[in-house]
Parts: sequence; C-alpha cells; structure tokens
Amino acid sequence: MTETLFPAETRLWTQDGFVEDDPWTIVTDEETTVDGNAKQVLPLATYLELDDASRTRAVGVLLGPADDVMDLEPFLDRLDLIAVTFPAFNDGRAFSQASLLRSRLGFQGDVRATGDVLIDQVPLMLRCGVASFAVTNPTALKRLAEGRLPGIDAYYQPAAAPAKSAGKYSWRRAPGAAA
Amino acid sequence: MYRYDEFDHDFVQQRVAQYSDQVERRLSGEITEDAFKPLRLMNGVYLQLHAYMLRVAIPYGTLNSRQMRRLARIARDYDKGYGHFTTRQNIQYNWPKLSDTPKILEELAEVEMHAIQTSGNCIRNVSADHFSGAAADEVADPRPYAEILRQWSSNHPEYSFLPRKFKIAVTGAERDRAAIQVHDIGLHLKRDDNGALGFAVYVGGGQGRTPMIAKKIRDFLPEEHLLSYVTAIMRVYNLHGRRDNKYKARIKILVHETGTEEFVSQIEAEWEKLKDSELKLPESDLAAIASYFQPPELQDRPEGWSGLASAKKADPGFAAWVHQNVTPHHHPDYGVVTISLKPIGGIPGDASDSQMEAVADLAERFAHDEIRVSHEQNLVLPHVAFADLEKVYRALLDVELATANAGLVSDIIACPGLDYCALANARSINVAQDISNRFASLERQRDIGELKIKISGCINACGHHHVGHIGILGVEKKGAELYQITLGGSGDENTSIGQIIGRGFAPDEITNAVETIVETYLGVRLNADENFLAAYRRVGPQPFKDALYGETSKAA
Repeated sequence: MTETLFPAETRLWTQDGFVEDDPWTIVTDEETTVDGNAKQVLPLATYLELDDASRTRAVGVLLGPADDVMDLEPFLDRLDLIAVTFPAFNDGRAFSQASLLRSRLGFQGDVRATGDVLIDQVPLMLRCGVASFAVTNPTALKRLAEGRLPGIDAYYQPAAAPAKSAGKYSWRRAPGAAA
Repeated sequence: MYRYDEFDHDFVQQRVAQYSDQVERRLSGEITEDAFKPLRLMNGVYLQLHAYMLRVAIPYGTLNSRQMRRLARIARDYDKGYGHFTTRQNIQYNWPKLSDTPKILEELAEVEMHAIQTSGNCIRNVSADHFSGAAADEVADPRPYAEILRQWSSNHPEYSFLPRKFKIAVTGAERDRAAIQVHDIGLHLKRDDNGALGFAVYVGGGQGRTPMIAKKIRDFLPEEHLLSYVTAIMRVYNLHGRRDNKYKARIKILVHETGTEEFVSQIEAEWEKLKDSELKLPESDLAAIASYFQPPELQDRPEGWSGLASAKKADPGFAAWVHQNVTPHHHPDYGVVTISLKPIGGIPGDASDSQMEAVADLAERFAHDEIRVSHEQNLVLPHVAFADLEKVYRALLDVELATANAGLVSDIIACPGLDYCALANARSINVAQDISNRFASLERQRDIGELKIKISGCINACGHHHVGHIGILGVEKKGAELYQITLGGSGDENTSIGQIIGRGFAPDEITNAVETIVETYLGVRLNADENFLAAYRRVGPQPFKDALYGETSKAA
C-alpha cells in the first residue's frame, strides 16, 4: 500500500511559493517495490536494504528523527530528495539532521520538512537548509499564502544556509557562510 | 559593558515585532493556549498560578543605571511595584497582563534589554561570576565569552528546540561563584603555563530531581575553540538527548547513560569536523568583544583607608556591613559591595521600584555605572572606592537595603514556591522569612558564620537546595506541606550534593529543625574558623541526625 506523502489538506511550499504538481510519494509499506517512474520516498531502513540496482532509480529518502543522516553519505549523489521529520513542535532533531546534510555532507538536492511544520519554525528550518515544506497546519498555510514569514533576518551565527548577501552575523558583523 | 550596535537593535526590534504578532494571534483566538505556549515560553512568558509571569534577561547579571531605572519603571507601571531577582541573574515580574507584555518588551528594547530565551527548551541566558571584572582573585573577565555565547545562541536555528532547557555558566576565578559544576555546561576561564587563555570544560551538571555534578571533559580548551566546542556538545545533545521523558531529557542524563568516556569521544569526533570552521574565533573577534568590557579607569583613592577606619570605629553597624558585604577588589583602594536583597523577614530577591532606583543612583554616583545581579539573589556594585563606602551605606540604609548579612544564615536563596509557581508543592518564601526572623540578630548570625540555606518549593530545585549547606525541599504529603532537609551541599569549586538527613518536617517544625542543626554545628565546630560546611564534612551527618531525631536514629 502506498499513501500520498501529502493528504488533501497538505500543500507543498518553497521560497518561490506553493508547488501544485509535486511528484513525490512516500512509501510506508515495506512490501512495496520500487518500480516504474514513480518518484518514491522510502524510509531510511528500506532504502538501505535495497540492492544497488534499485538504488540507482530516482528515489528519495525519509529520515525519522532518530535516524543517522551519516548512513546516507555513500548514496547522496543518487538522491534527489531527503525528507526530514518534525513529529511535534518540541522535537528539534531534524534541525540538526538538515544542517548536517547541507554543511557536513554537502547535499545539493531537496531537503523537505514533513510532520508538524509550524509557521514560527519555518524561518529556522530554512536557515538549517530545508528547501521545501509539506504543510498542513492551517495557520501556517494561511501565513505562507499571505507571504508572512515571522522570521528575524538578523543572524547571530553562521548556519547551514548561507546568509543573504546583505546578511551579517554576530560579533563579527560579517557576511555569513556555511560553517 | 556590552553596548548594542545597529545590528543588535535591529535584532531585538524584530524579535519584539515577532512576539507581538504571536500575542496578537493568541488574543484574537487564532491560536490556542497550547499552540501559544511554546511561543511565549521562547520569550520568557510563563503562566503561573494567578497570572502571567515575565522573566527578563540580564545577560551574565550585568546592567547599568539606565537599565535598572527602566526595570523599576516597568515594575511600577505594569506590575505591583516590585520585581524579583532570580538565581539565573534575571528579573521576574509576577503580575503583568499578557496584553501588556509586547509594550514591556518595547520598553526593554529601548535600554538594550529583552526576554529572549529566558525560558523554553533552548540555550538560556548565560550566567557568570557576579564579581567579574572586579574580584581580586580573577584570572580574566569571563563576561566577553559569556557575551559571545549570548550572541551565538540568540535565535539559533539548530538549537531552539532542544530536548530540554540548557544552561551555561562561565567563571574566571579559581573560586567558583557561578556554580558552574551544576550547569549543563560550565566553563572555567584560566591560563595555561604559557599564559594563554582557555577553558576547563564541564558538562552534565544540574539540579532538579536528579542532581548531578558536571564531569570535566577538557582541562584546557584554547579560547578560540569556544564556539566550535560548545556547538559540538549542542549537536550531540540535540540529536541524542532523550525526548521520551522530560524528566530524563537534560544533558546530565545523556552523559550519565552514555558514559562519560563514550560521550566525550562523540563530542571530540564532532568537534574535529567543526574546529577549523567559521566558528573558530580569531584574536580580532575576541578583542572586539573584550573591548566592551575594559575595566573602568579607577583613580587611586588612598584617602579612603583612614576615613574608612575612623567611620567603622564610630559606627559598629557600618563596620559590620563593611566586614560582611564588601569583598576585595583588584584595586587596593576599592571594594566590591554586595547589596543584600534579604532584609530580615523579607522575601529573598524582591526589590521595590524605589529600591531599584536608589541602587541605580548609587551605581551612577559611586560605582562607575555598573550593577550586577548575583545568582544568590542579591545586587552588587562592583567598583566602589573605600572613600565612598560610607555614603553608599547611608543611602542604602535609607531604602532598607543595608542588611549586613551577605553569606550568613539569613542570606537565603528561595524559589517563588507555592505563592506564585504552578509547579510548586509547597511554599518557600514563608519558610525563608521564618528562618530569617528566627536568626534576626546579626550578632548571632556572625557568630554562626558562613552558612548557605537554599529553599525549593518542589523537586525542580529552582531554589538550589541540592547545593545548600542546609537545603530545604518542600514536598506535598497527604495534602500537607512537608519540608525535607539536606545537609552538606555546595555549589562552589568543591561542589557537592547535599544528603537527605531524615524524615521531613511540617511547616511549623522546619525553623526549629534548622535552629537545631545550627546549634549542633556550633557544638561540634573546632573553632569559629571552621564554617558549617567544613564541620559537616569533617563530622558527617550523625550528630545532626541525633539532634534532630534522637539517639535512636542510629539504629535506623
């Protein structure tokens, strides 16, 4: 069985706005085989069990909060998307996972926030290198539609996503780069 | 002290706007209290028993007269005319209206203050030795490093939703006045054999329901690695700290369950990847921040010595205050003045608006415009010439802030307890007041000598009872308040966790019990130079058990 990564009320958002034709589907059943041209997102454990041939197909990986991102190091050049999970507002592990994917592993593909994506956390997720957001929270959807991100654009520290060119951070008051 | 530049002002203004928007959403009903809670907590707003409480950050406990006056004005305009200084060197207002909190933050922003990260599961306000930059025994001022940590941790994108709150303390002297070994990270600034500055790094200390003394995981970390090393610790904690049980979520539990050796190897492995990153602090960065903390230019004031001697002779009250509340400054003509917020029978840490204004005036006139808040809930004027001490004392007398009890039995730390706090099981303030009244005589207190009593109204230990020489923990048993006593705790460079002495005491028994303990100490001490803690460490708990519970307790 497969279920869509984003049920009807879920919308995908990036900094360019809402995306209407997202091709990715999360696969939750371990029996499901990777076939055809479907762009499937597999849980990390499922992905790691695939044989090498299957891994060459276009798949994404879904990391749970307890998963070790470093397990993906050998496969990053074949992955287009890595989804991270925010199970609740107070579980911030995915902030570190996203940061490591970008700054430690240099992952260039899409890093997607799934789970309880809340408007007040989106600016922080962006700074940790998250690029797309599967959003169901009504307030978040409304705010994103209105273009109202409640972030602070003065940064006191380097982060995975480089500061904008005009950006500066912290005691150094210098343009930020990835740390 | 640190001064905001355009960047800091911009940041705080944006934060106020962000928070105002969140309050607006709550007041309009767009979000529920449940959804609002994590947002308000990131900004120091708690919901207590009777009202919201706002906790304002005083970074490393340093502020100037203008800021203190503003705190006074906020107490007058938005609260009931007083504020409560806390064990994290902050101030709490107990009665603000939620709808007023954005205005309060705007008022704070005007004087370079905020309430950011004074609660929530994030890196909290960094604390430091309250005598920093003044104490005679200091190797170097720890505040520039505390400021660097403050900036780096502000709205940190990766570490704002940690498993639990995270507290960092920094000290710059061998004598630890910042209780660094009961913090999540404790940093002891020191010099190596070549004179270079660096830190002994302690991790995993804490109080609460599972008190633990921090493990020293580095004897000397060169100063340029401060942020990369702390980042490595934070990352390991954020990824691996327990999130299944909030009572096991602090880093102390992670260190304990992982094992120190394995934990350190994880930190070191992460740090290997970070140490040469942009987080490495070049000399110029350190110098830029240190320049804000240059000591004031202190004129020689040798005339103070003779004046001080005759004034002390003429007024025993003044002499007692100087003896108890003035400590050595690195300049021989100056002293560090502790302003006790523990009047006999008073509420520990509370100050009225007019008292705050009086302290601000004194700081401006006699103390190079600097004020400190101590984690022992007192205020400090760090640079006062001996020649000015009497004037300062007289002015403090006028506003009832001249109690000569710093470090004595009535200098009690107490949490707000059941009078305010939604978590408390028992009252703390009344116990502190009763004990203070019982030992009202300062002469008797001086005879007893140094004795730190610390009172918490619940197991969360905000009153630091675990590290009290005498610790008192309020619990609830069968619907009644009961007070459990621990002895032998200490939060200094020889940190120890107090031991439970026996069954607890009812509210009308606890002060008698404390008095019994004190009398027992007076009976066993070798001489007046052996303070309570030293005597307890020498003789152990038995004499105290015998005195409290009778000889039969030996069999128990």
